[in-house]
Amino acid sequence: MSENRHDRSPRDQESPSLGARIRDFLIQAASLMKGGGSEALDRQRSKGKMTARERVEYLLDSDSFLELDLFVEHTARDFGMDKKKLAGDGVITGFGRIGTRPVALYAQDFTVAGGSLGMMHAGKIVKVMDGARDRLIPLIGINDSGGARIQEGIDSLRGYGDIFFRNTLLSGVVPQLSVILGPCAGGAVYSPALTDFVFVVDGVSNMFITGPQVIKTVLGEEVTPEELGGARVQTTVTGNAHFYARTEHEAFDQVARLLTFLPANSRQMPPAVHWRPPARPITNDIIPPERRRAFDVVDVIRGIVDDSDFLEVQAGWARNIVIGFARLDGRTVGIVANQPRILAGVLDVDSSDKAARFIRFCDAFNIPLVTFVDTPGYLPGVDQEYAGVIRHGAKILYAYSEATVPKLTVIMRKAYGGAYIAMCSRHLGANFLFAWPGAEIAVMGPEGAANIIFRREIEASADPDATRAEKVREYEEKFANPYVGASKGYVDAIVEPEKTREALIRGLNLSRNREYGKVERRHGNMPL
Amino acid sequence: MSEFEYLNIDETLYETEIPAGTFTASDGPPDRRQVRAFIPGIIHEIRVGEGGRVETGDVLLLLEAMKMYNEVTAIQSGRVEKVLVEAGDIVEKNQLLLTLD
Repeated sequence: MSENRHDRSPRDQESPSLGARIRDFLIQAASLMKGGGSEALDRQRSKGKMTARERVEYLLDSDSFLELDLFVEHTARDFGMDKKKLAGDGVITGFGRIGTRPVALYAQDFTVAGGSLGMMHAGKIVKVMDGARDRLIPLIGINDSGGARIQEGIDSLRGYGDIFFRNTLLSGVVPQLSVILGPCAGGAVYSPALTDFVFVVDGVSNMFITGPQVIKTVLGEEVTPEELGGARVQTTVTGNAHFYARTEHEAFDQVARLLTFLPANSRQMPPAVHWRPPARPITNDIIPPERRRAFDVVDVIRGIVDDSDFLEVQAGWARNIVIGFARLDGRTVGIVANQPRILAGVLDVDSSDKAARFIRFCDAFNIPLVTFVDTPGYLPGVDQEYAGVIRHGAKILYAYSEATVPKLTVIMRKAYGGAYIAMCSRHLGANFLFAWPGAEIAVMGPEGAANIIFRREIEASADPDATRAEKVREYEEKFANPYVGASKGYVDAIVEPEKTREALIRGLNLSRNREYGKVERRHGNMPL
Repeated sequence: MSEFEYLNIDETLYETEIPAGTFTASDGPPDRRQVRAFIPGIIHEIRVGEGGRVETGDVLLLLEAMKMYNEVTAIQSGRVEKVLVEAGDIVEKNQLLLTLD
């Protein structure tokens, strides 16, 4: 052995060579990238689910993924955790591109401790969320987790809290999308609930606050996880989810398609593309003139927007109102439309909630609003009143009034009473309001109006039915048309159905985000 | 495609689809003289007797559920007409426990 350390040749030293270190790193990385191990990955696949890494691979543009924190480890010691090695602590995080546009992404790995959320797992997610905020790019969360990692106690609660807080701070700054590809239960569901759009897959997704076991124990009610919080329930009953897919691939395709309509952040305009005319433009006889007959408003929408391409949102819930994204002249617009086929297109609790949130999302991200109106009013009844139609209905008034993006409205047929006001009338700040020649803007339908206004005459008459019929006709002739509204300037222009697309595009070209002389305030008190 | 039904809005009948579950309160507002269990549980203690007078807010009975003795209170005043359960009974959600008149 040498006396002097400087006499030692490098070859005598025992530290590994760089080549060996690189080999060692690659072996470790490869092992970590297998998550819970080959067997666990196979088990995931046998359940008809993609693995976390396969999902990231499919969703992102090839070779665009920059993974972070692969080597993060938990620091828990209790309950045998000190002996447990958890690859990536159960979540894959990083940045990548979708359709060449950068996004921040995390994908929970169910094969690692059930994808349970521990402190470091949450810390990884928080890091990419902060990255999304710094870079102002969309955040996509792929949820597949058994929930809080009980062994880490309130450190997992802290983890969820850190995530919810950032979901909120990011809200309206960048689009946030949640894809539910496994269980998402208990507190964990609040992250998706705080994001903008939730994607669910039949037979794969499961969201609920309290699960079937707890419900059985406490309430004695028997219900399967699918019945309680599966994809169908979330897209048709609860309205918690926005997009329904039959397969995971389909869900990812929907994510990619949605992103093409949206800007990366609230400082940007949505991406513009080359305009294309609708495949089947509407004709003047697109809707039945008879006010009581139903029609499918989606046909009208598709007959007006670019390429007849309409991405409907929450198609299965509160179907009496239709919302979704489309383009006019190559630019994204947010569509809100009454659906006469369902509940005559009335407004009610759920449709008000559905429309209001969508309106505010569009307003947050510089997406102009185009509203199509055919509504006879609000849904009457004890159910609605007890469900709070007053405070829920107020949301749509608030959302439209508050919105400063361009607002264009087309009254196709009926616009009665409070619903006329609520469906983006000029009074709520519409930039342009067009009415079709068959439009009827009135306090209510002729039958109801005549009954009230001419009640005494009808009662006093020798033939009340004949008098009523006569009065209904009188009222109809006088008020069931767009001319009264047009004569007052409540309607900017009467436009034929065939000319609507052109009118809307001109209107859009003449509008830009408004700056009202807003009074300074911390924020309004939106009815909720 | 489902059959169209008719929905009456302000005396006009609209031909449209009415999704199941739209109208549930077909009997109007709930009968306040009926005191029902809001949750399944066990009757822990009954605090009133038949014929007794109660005022709004009086505790009628204690219903054990979710690790609590839940107070079931009168939402209107009246006389207790019938008590249909006794301490120790296991009750289901919405089960009629007591009537007032």
